[in-house]
Amino acid sequence: MNFGQIIPSTRAVALGIANFLLIALCFTPTLYMFAQSFFDTTGELSLASYQQLISIATEPRGRELLLSSVALGAGAAVLATLLGFPLGILLARADFPGKRFWRVVFLAPLVVPPYILALAWILASGKAGFLISLTGIEFPANWTYSLGGAIVVLGASYFPLSMLATEAAARRVSGRQEEAALLYRNAGGVLRHITLPLVAPTVLATALIIFVLATVEFGVPGLLRVRVFTTEVFTAFAAFYDFSQATALTIPLLLSTLLAGTIAFLLVGEYDLTARRHFAGRFSFSLGWARWIVFSILALVFLVAVVTPLVSLWYETEGFSQIFAAVGGSATALMNSLVLSGLGATLVVSLAIWLAYGRARSTGFHRHFYDLSLVVIFAVPSTVVGIGLIGLWNRPDWRGAVYASPFIIVIAYLARFVPLATLLLVTSFRQVPTSQEEAAEIAGAGWLRTFFRIVLPQIRQSLIAVWIIVFIFCFGELGATLLVAPPGESTLPVRIYTLIANSTQSEVAALALLQASFVLFSLVGLSLFFRLEKGERGQ
Amino acid sequence: MTQQIARLWLSGLILLAIITGACSTSNNQANTGTNSGANTGGNTVTIYVSQDRVFAEPVLQAYEQKTGVKVNAVYDTEETKSTGLANKVIAEKNRPQADVFWSNEPVRTLVLKKRGVLAPYQSTSADDIPANFKDPEHFWTGFSARSRVIVYNTDLVNEADAPKSIFDLADPKWKGQVAIADPRFGSTSFHVAALYAELGDEKADDFFRRLKANEVKIVSGNSVVRDLAARGEVKVGVTDTDDVNVALEKKLPVAMIFPDRDGIGVPIMPNIVSLVAGSPNTEAGKKLIDYLLSAETEAALARSEAVQIPLRSGVEAPKNIPPLSSFKPMTLDYGKAADRVEEVTRRLQDILGL
Repeated sequence: MNFGQIIPSTRAVALGIANFLLIALCFTPTLYMFAQSFFDTTGELSLASYQQLISIATEPRGRELLLSSVALGAGAAVLATLLGFPLGILLARADFPGKRFWRVVFLAPLVVPPYILALAWILASGKAGFLISLTGIEFPANWTYSLGGAIVVLGASYFPLSMLATEAAARRVSGRQEEAALLYRNAGGVLRHITLPLVAPTVLATALIIFVLATVEFGVPGLLRVRVFTTEVFTAFAAFYDFSQATALTIPLLLSTLLAGTIAFLLVGEYDLTARRHFAGRFSFSLGWARWIVFSILALVFLVAVVTPLVSLWYETEGFSQIFAAVGGSATALMNSLVLSGLGATLVVSLAIWLAYGRARSTGFHRHFYDLSLVVIFAVPSTVVGIGLIGLWNRPDWRGAVYASPFIIVIAYLARFVPLATLLLVTSFRQVPTSQEEAAEIAGAGWLRTFFRIVLPQIRQSLIAVWIIVFIFCFGELGATLLVAPPGESTLPVRIYTLIANSTQSEVAALALLQASFVLFSLVGLSLFFRLEKGERGQ
Repeated sequence: MTQQIARLWLSGLILLAIITGACSTSNNQANTGTNSGANTGGNTVTIYVSQDRVFAEPVLQAYEQKTGVKVNAVYDTEETKSTGLANKVIAEKNRPQADVFWSNEPVRTLVLKKRGVLAPYQSTSADDIPANFKDPEHFWTGFSARSRVIVYNTDLVNEADAPKSIFDLADPKWKGQVAIADPRFGSTSFHVAALYAELGDEKADDFFRRLKANEVKIVSGNSVVRDLAARGEVKVGVTDTDDVNVALEKKLPVAMIFPDRDGIGVPIMPNIVSLVAGSPNTEAGKKLIDYLLSAETEAALARSEAVQIPLRSGVEAPKNIPPLSSFKPMTLDYGKAADRVEEVTRRLQDILGL
């Protein structure tokens, strides 16, 4: 008997374990909730939730909710891409000073929870907002209370995602291809015909992720009184305490995400990409006199998307004393957040690299279903995930010990963000040529050695970018954390949201600034450690 | 060098996480262990609190100091910002982690009672609390109350012109100048259920239709109502006493009116405390309930910024708030009002376009 044919390869075992963990951690909470949705509150088998779903879906109200949900997701994704894509290209390819500064300040909207950003916009306008005191002109607060307002807030929240992803993708584009093209075209032509088509899959994949994020966001439409399916799911939980109905109501959300994902994959397909390796120089276009136009655009985006909401929050606070007072009682929660988010982001990325690699190297038609399943599971509202985790982990066996420990919060992070990290990393792995792995195998290197020594180092920039994104999302996670956090183990967002229930707007603003400041300072520290700029000087 | 720093940082992070996890796990052993019989001898009690954290935390800290019992508290957010702890209690029904549930309004607790997650407990501390604030079956007991109030901006509205009744808000005089919180959640859901119970469906439907025609602003929470009034974005709104008092303490230009003192009565919302069925530390939970229902807690909550109205006589009333005996409270069967919350919510979704 040839045991070589029976014993699976190291690669098969590693990818098998990774996919088992994906199913166990990310899919089972949702599957558990769907299984429970066929029972009523007394435990009897019932289809009442689905009958209600059908009645909502067939009413004009249902169609209106679906249209609003899709419009919110699509609008936010388009706006975020329109802002983030050119910024990402500029950061990767243009010659202008202060890139590190711009990169960090443009991350600011991402680290402020969208709910707080919406609140900041409301506070900026109106009769008592800082815009009227600054300009003497009253900017009506009503504009924020609309679908358009929600799109603007969420687009402005998520454009840094598009910016980061575009920049990371542009950095990976083969310098040789661009160099060769430069023989026939000018820098603009190279950008248009070589660079942009090669980064397009990443840009569109990120737009899809933003679509999902905006579609499942509850806080902003809730605050701005925009009716979408997420608010219906929320109402089923918070007003009716009906888990079955809430779970059933996620189906339209998941279907719209599935449709958007299918369209995105049909549009993009899969490009054969090659990585930039051994590239001494770096393709970069000189802005020349246009540098000032670019600078003006950067300053405008900075002013509108970053300065206005942050200054609005600052304007509402009663100065540093109030922020320091907020820090005083939040030290434990802050430490919990930093440790749990750091650990969560590390574990999420650690699992996602295997999954993304496996997906990038798969060739069968099933890979499209794999992508779509990741997109759909990422679109499950956090509360559904949280209740599902309680059902699965609050058990008398060993899981009960995990449930009673802070590690359950990390498990919630894994459940929510492994699909996101995997989707973000797939295109990076696809840009690493398989020929390099084949060459390493011929040279006698084992698969694990090849993976760690050849494949991973080439996507180092993407790993860092994805780690930062996941860290930010873990840090701001509220819906699932609030449900699973054991007594006495609140994170900073949970503490902030429990404090703002009765606080004045000035205290809310101080707490929001506190949260944003800590994430930003953490990221600045990290960027210094990892020296992101190193990549600009060529690997 | 950079890689070394990164490795060091990551190693430190993981080490810190392990240490934190170990400490926290040991802290929480009491909560988990007792479900399988490892009782902690009453040294720990776990409470889920839907009362605002800023008001509940000092009360629980005082209990810790007084008894030496460690109180593990989980606090809730405003109902419009997350799905709330009541869902956590329901989800944990088969293996409860909480001993006590403290809610700041009756609806949530009554839902929990219907779902079978509460256990009866008759506290002797509640003997002098009026019977209408106690469940005849002892699944819940009320203490310190808030009231629903009309808040108005004192720069824009004179006291004499301010609305005295909830029904005045449907007057075209206030068109586009009234804000209320989403009536599907929190204390507003209790208020609308009480109005439906008091008025009957036809009159209540008519009132909310007129309110809708009056372009009422429906916002995400009671604190937002207060802030809109304080900023002059609206002239009047309906919110809770504690929300207005926070603004009064900050010297913001608002004042409050206890509505319908001469009509259907002022809607009063007591805090509600209950024992969780199958809780890990039942005896410790009962002792905490006794403390929460004591005159000492009512006095502390009256003195706090929450300005909660004591239900028993003999406890000093809070500042800015008239004593319970000085106005006519809305007579309510909380159980009946809560039973109709879901139906009323669905009616209002249609009427107000929620």
